[in-house]
Amino acid sequence: MDNRRIPKHGISMIQVNQAREAFAQTARARDPRIASNPRHQATAAPISNDIIPRVPPSPPRHKCNNPKNPSCPHCSAVIIPAPKATLPAEDTPSISIADWKVSTRKKPILNSKELEDWEVILGGLTLPEMIFGNSFVRIENEKTGWSLDFNALDALKAVKMEDSGIRVSYANKWINSKREQQRTSELDENSLQIGQHYDWTYTTNYKGTVRNGNCDKHFIQDDSLELPIDKLTRPDPILFYDDMILFEDELADNGISMINVKVRVMNERALVLSRFFLRVDGVLFRVYDTRVYVEFNESKVLREYKEHETDYKTVLGRQNSGPSKDPKAILRDSNWVVQQLPLLRRECETIQL
Amino acid sequence: MELDKCLELLYAGQLLPEETLRALCFKLKEKLVNESNVVHISTPVTVVGDIHGQFHDLLEIFKIGGIVPNTNYLFLGDYVDRGLYSVETMSLLIVLKLRYPNRVHLLRGNHESRQITQSYGFYSECLNKYGGSTGVWQCFTDLFDFLVLCCIIDNELFCVHGGLSPNVQTIDQIRIIDRFREIPHDGAMADLVWSDPEDSGSESGNPNPASTVTHFQVSPRGAGYTFGRSVVEKFLQLNGMSRIYRAHQLCNEGYQVYFGGLVTTVWSAPNYCYRCGNKASILELYDKDHSYFNVFEEAPENKLLNSTGHTTNEAYLKEFFGESTESVDMFSDEYQMASASKRHVEYFL
Repeated sequence: MDNRRIPKHGISMIQVNQAREAFAQTARARDPRIASNPRHQATAAPISNDIIPRVPPSPPRHKCNNPKNPSCPHCSAVIIPAPKATLPAEDTPSISIADWKVSTRKKPILNSKELEDWEVILGGLTLPEMIFGNSFVRIENEKTGWSLDFNALDALKAVKMEDSGIRVSYANKWINSKREQQRTSELDENSLQIGQHYDWTYTTNYKGTVRNGNCDKHFIQDDSLELPIDKLTRPDPILFYDDMILFEDELADNGISMINVKVRVMNERALVLSRFFLRVDGVLFRVYDTRVYVEFNESKVLREYKEHETDYKTVLGRQNSGPSKDPKAILRDSNWVVQQLPLLRRECETIQL
Repeated sequence: MELDKCLELLYAGQLLPEETLRALCFKLKEKLVNESNVVHISTPVTVVGDIHGQFHDLLEIFKIGGIVPNTNYLFLGDYVDRGLYSVETMSLLIVLKLRYPNRVHLLRGNHESRQITQSYGFYSECLNKYGGSTGVWQCFTDLFDFLVLCCIIDNELFCVHGGLSPNVQTIDQIRIIDRFREIPHDGAMADLVWSDPEDSGSESGNPNPASTVTHFQVSPRGAGYTFGRSVVEKFLQLNGMSRIYRAHQLCNEGYQVYFGGLVTTVWSAPNYCYRCGNKASILELYDKDHSYFNVFEEAPENKLLNSTGHTTNEAYLKEFFGESTESVDMFSDEYQMASASKRHVEYFL
């Protein structure tokens, strides 16, 4: 940390903030009113809008591996990762059900040392603005050691090191005006070359990283398979939930490129959605979804991959909220956008462990 | 309204009436129209990078860096968008500039533009906070056209939001830009607020040394430049400058040094977008050779922003020190349970 090198400046802001935090926590924890305030126990109902019917108590079969999570006497309470630890502490919430373990980790964006390392690993790819490189979602089968990870490094490895052919909306105008200047002035010849060739939209067909462990089985492709929508739309209590971004770049304010991963674990099954969302303003939209569905009792995993894409104008035309003053707000919502995009490609595969 | 009264309201996190803002913007435009594109100031001064509507972090900056007018500040632009309090941030900076014109200097960033603010939150925020009227946003964005582009400290430190431009060899070429306009897509003015350094250091594993970037390159996006070391060296030498300070790019440590210190990025939005977990810094320049990066983390207020929606100190203190009867020990099962039930869970498909 920089402030260690220059001791004359006294206490750094970070230390002050940590001290504030620690003090506030202590102050709260010692407040006698807290000990005698049982009201909060009654508020454990999972989701505010009552979409979950009371479930008859079933024997507990999951184990919350994070001691910071609320204790769960096989309740229907939502168990989700503990709040971010503010003082340095390893924080990898997880849950185990039958042979399966689902864990997640959320960390800040990479620091400059890590960024340098990644640049070497990724062979000169100009890295996205925000990389949550130490975050991941992992599903593993504890019996066989088989696991499926979603992490930023592997997602970026799948970005092509070649020209995507996509240009920002005003690129032609820009280049032409530069050519004009070049003819009339001092700009040198090679100043109009595109420097490096990589896909600046960070489009990735990443479907997760498989580690086989002791298991010699592999995914078998079968596009006729479907996710069991009936089972997944049942309002079974969610025992574990997390939602994180792997990387994000605003394309120098020409739109957005990001991967978001969500996971929810119910008593019988788990679902992961890893979504690559791309909006190039004035040019196009892309949504590449990977869904991983695990049925715990059958030890079966289904992985579905879908590519959606269309041009910007089409999507903008679909938003018919009347003469809205802020028509672009909805273009930031990937759930709405994906419904407007045609499906270009779908793959499905399964593995039986 | 008196400027000091405005300051009092703004420091307390309140909004100014639309009429007042209109008058303030008008007055500041009158002042700025007389300023050159390139302002000259001298040390000591504290340089602040992107803030992006993180109002509480701006207040935090004044806490660690010293309040205006006791400390001189140079802001490198990008005051608005993304954060939830762009209006408060911009209002406060405007009033400070009017009240202490020689203590506060505001450069223009690429987000101080009509087009960008419509996509990245400032426009929506103005509508929400001023009853659906676009008037306030128009006032602000009209004012943005008057902000200056660059600043030179002690005749040798060149400060700009983005970076260099192939159209700018000498600082005099910046002086003759017609800056009173929307930021164009193209040309010197665009490059100054948009371009990025490209440091292809020896460790980057690039197998082909000939491709090492030392000059300007077009970004693969098809518009915009990156500038390399030789461009920087040439510019500094030609203009008798020793270093460049700029903002514009997020860095986890709050600052980032390029080309052995010739170019430095200062980033002042901690935990950017309330989720990056990065640190931020302000650069305290004591004289042209002595400086200190004051690194800081997000203001504690931010942690409560999304849940409470209050911006006033009072509500924050209540929550923070457990004055409210609702408040419980954060480590207790009850608290965890209650907060778990409040947390967002989605039956996504």
